[in-house]
Amino acid sequence: MALLRPIASRVVALVPVVLGITVLVFALNAIALGDPARAAMGQRADPETLERLRREYALDRPLPVQYATWLGRLARGDLGESFREQRPVGEVIRERLPATARLALAATLISVVLGVGIGALAAVRAGSALDHLLMGVAVLGISTPVFWLGMMLALVFAVTLGWLPVSGYGDGALGHLVLPAVTLGALHTGTVARMTRSSLLEVVRQDFMATARAKGLSEWAVLGKHALRNALVPVITVIGIGLADLLVGAPLTETVFAWPGVGRLLVAAVGQRDLPVVMGAVLVFALVYVLGNLLVDLAYLVIDPRMRDAARA
Amino acid sequence: MTRAAPAAALLLVLLVAALSGAAVAARPGGTLRMVFVSDPPTLDPAHATDLTSSSIIHQVFDALLELDEKLVPAPALAERWSVSPDHRVYTFHLRRGAKFHNGREVRAADVKYSFERAARGKRPWVFDKLVGAREFIKGGASEIAGVRVVDDGTVELRLERPFAPFLHLMAYDAASIVPREETDKRGAGFASHPVGTGAFRFVSWRRDDQVVLERFAEHFRGPAHLERVVFRVIPAEGTRFNEYVAGQLDVGDIPTGRCRAVQADAKLKGDVAIWPTLGTSALRFNVERAPFTDARVRRAIAHAIDPSIIVDRLLEGCVKAAQGIVPPVLAGWTPTATRLPLDRARARALLAEAGFPGGRGLGPVAYHFNTNDANQRIAEALQAQLKEIGVTLELRRLDWAAHIKVVDDGSAGFFRQGWIADYPDPENFLTVLFHSRNVGAAGNTSRYRNPAVDRLLDEADTMAIGAARMKRYEEAEQMILDDAVWVSLYFYASRALIKPYVKGLERSPQSTAPEFLAPLRKVWLER
Repeated sequence: MALLRPIASRVVALVPVVLGITVLVFALNAIALGDPARAAMGQRADPETLERLRREYALDRPLPVQYATWLGRLARGDLGESFREQRPVGEVIRERLPATARLALAATLISVVLGVGIGALAAVRAGSALDHLLMGVAVLGISTPVFWLGMMLALVFAVTLGWLPVSGYGDGALGHLVLPAVTLGALHTGTVARMTRSSLLEVVRQDFMATARAKGLSEWAVLGKHALRNALVPVITVIGIGLADLLVGAPLTETVFAWPGVGRLLVAAVGQRDLPVVMGAVLVFALVYVLGNLLVDLAYLVIDPRMRDAARA
Repeated sequence: MTRAAPAAALLLVLLVAALSGAAVAARPGGTLRMVFVSDPPTLDPAHATDLTSSSIIHQVFDALLELDEKLVPAPALAERWSVSPDHRVYTFHLRRGAKFHNGREVRAADVKYSFERAARGKRPWVFDKLVGAREFIKGGASEIAGVRVVDDGTVELRLERPFAPFLHLMAYDAASIVPREETDKRGAGFASHPVGTGAFRFVSWRRDDQVVLERFAEHFRGPAHLERVVFRVIPAEGTRFNEYVAGQLDVGDIPTGRCRAVQADAKLKGDVAIWPTLGTSALRFNVERAPFTDARVRRAIAHAIDPSIIVDRLLEGCVKAAQGIVPPVLAGWTPTATRLPLDRARARALLAEAGFPGGRGLGPVAYHFNTNDANQRIAEALQAQLKEIGVTLELRRLDWAAHIKVVDDGSAGFFRQGWIADYPDPENFLTVLFHSRNVGAAGNTSRYRNPAVDRLLDEADTMAIGAARMKRYEEAEQMILDDAVWVSLYFYASRALIKPYVKGLERSPQSTAPEFLAPLRKVWLER
């Protein structure tokens, strides 16, 4: 119960952040050149139909009125209607959200398992050739463009070896998830690995580690039981921040692998100036990001008793 | 000759006929896998404005007419029609027994309903030639007076004035026939669950992933050969190519910059299919914007551009350089017009005459184009070519929505614009793109107003199809090119990879890619 207050205060603090994001996105859309009605008309548009569409899309109203209308609808849980698809934005996003969630979770799982594993191994063998190799791989993972990595993985594992599908969602089969998840996860695996290594190396120099060793525990037991738990706080921070990487990487990964997610929807909506969809998708991404960070904060409280005490105080 | 000889000869003839028949007989069954670059925004003929949507609509719906492989209007839901001597009244007799996918027979009232519904959609121009259509579209009338249901099997369409390509409009996907009970029942949801009379009926659509169709066994022409058609949606060019190479697509596109490479590839060269289509890529000037108000400046730029470099080096010779505006592949069209020839000395002289000797005083000229690899390369080539006459080109690269905005509202002075025919008639190029009544978003983005050209186009548009009509269009085309409001670069070509076992896929000039508009009811798989 003592944790409810800090959680509630964090949730309340999210509201202005999310609202600020929506104002910013709306303003950027207003500044951007392009007319949603014209973009919906193809190569030929007669002026009367354009005017009718502008009225239908409420684009003939002043910008603050448009934003206030959007906000009013949002308060009632209505994200408006897509200009392009002529359907409720909630429905448009809901259809794509499971695919993006699946991809992001799989990528997070890959980055955490691989990242912590690689980081721990490098820390145990600190200074060795293996350490250098693993950290080299980690840097490569961080610096490789998602687009290029995705194409290369598809070329090798799908086209040449034929082990996995090139792209698409399939019918939700696991095989279709592997390459996009690895591509998206690779971006973040390197960061988690580097943070795990440096955090572990810092912890192993602490006095309590010498005590653990003096008790006769094996190096892996010392590392797993005592060091890793203490090293996890900064690692969890990186995982939380990594959500941003996943969100940034999702549109590209979804494009390369023809994955029907929210990232691709957002890219297409920007191109079409489908403002209600842009606003809806950005809102979803913003919520995922801030809620991810909230979960990180909560994880601190679970892992580190000192923080729990501080929160209670 | 023995008595057995005629019998043996007959047997031989039958055997040969049977064997040759077996060699060409279409095999039923199988799934054709094609690909789109983007998800169709809608599957409702009234609201579609893009080729992707139209390509599904073409398979799921029928119109009164369709275009045959030579792009001549042919019977579809209408089995025959007649035209009044003054070319203003068209009477269509519907095919008996044609059914919607829900089992109901098509009636003339469906035609009236479909036309009135679509006229208030996104392509009202398809119907605005009908008597009373403009009032109806604006909301000033409750029906289109020019559409009359004569009886269950006959519908009469009256035009304000003769319009030669009218039959082509009756084959256009915006004029598809829809069942009222389904649009009423589904409302906006009809766009996601279309019900038509087409050779394929809609099965499923997972957004941004795939659209699945299956053959309609009760189609009025009999069931299609293919059992299913799957249109996948793959935005990345490289991924589409990988899927094709991996055998997961039966038809794909040739990636940008790889046209020669695939033709040299031992595994792919047999699959390459390139054919000319009804589209032209060009540069346009806004004649209301200085310095392009001066025809000498426009002509100077036109004389300085060499499309052969663009075609041969940048587009790898996979398209043809254009002389005129209307593609020569258009049936009945004799290409006579010629663009201003490459002549840089003349270009320099014209610039000097206009008061810009060696390009001095002209300042940097902004050139607008929409973002893609080929357009970027072409823009850079143009920059180099114009440098030779002292004109500095400043490249303005925008995404499509922003590009079309600056082009339509007249803020771009010099810009890239292509045109793909909505229907195969010179009117769709010349009148739409250059008549003064279409200035702006309606097509005439050059804002060109030439009474002599208008007069020729007005005459031609209302004349009966024939040589005299074509002659007027040819004259108008040459006048437009001489005025240098449009600089033709190249004619579009459909560039595809098609697996050898895919048979019967039409390579029509109307289809800018195999997945667009080709009647898939004719396709079968030889495997």
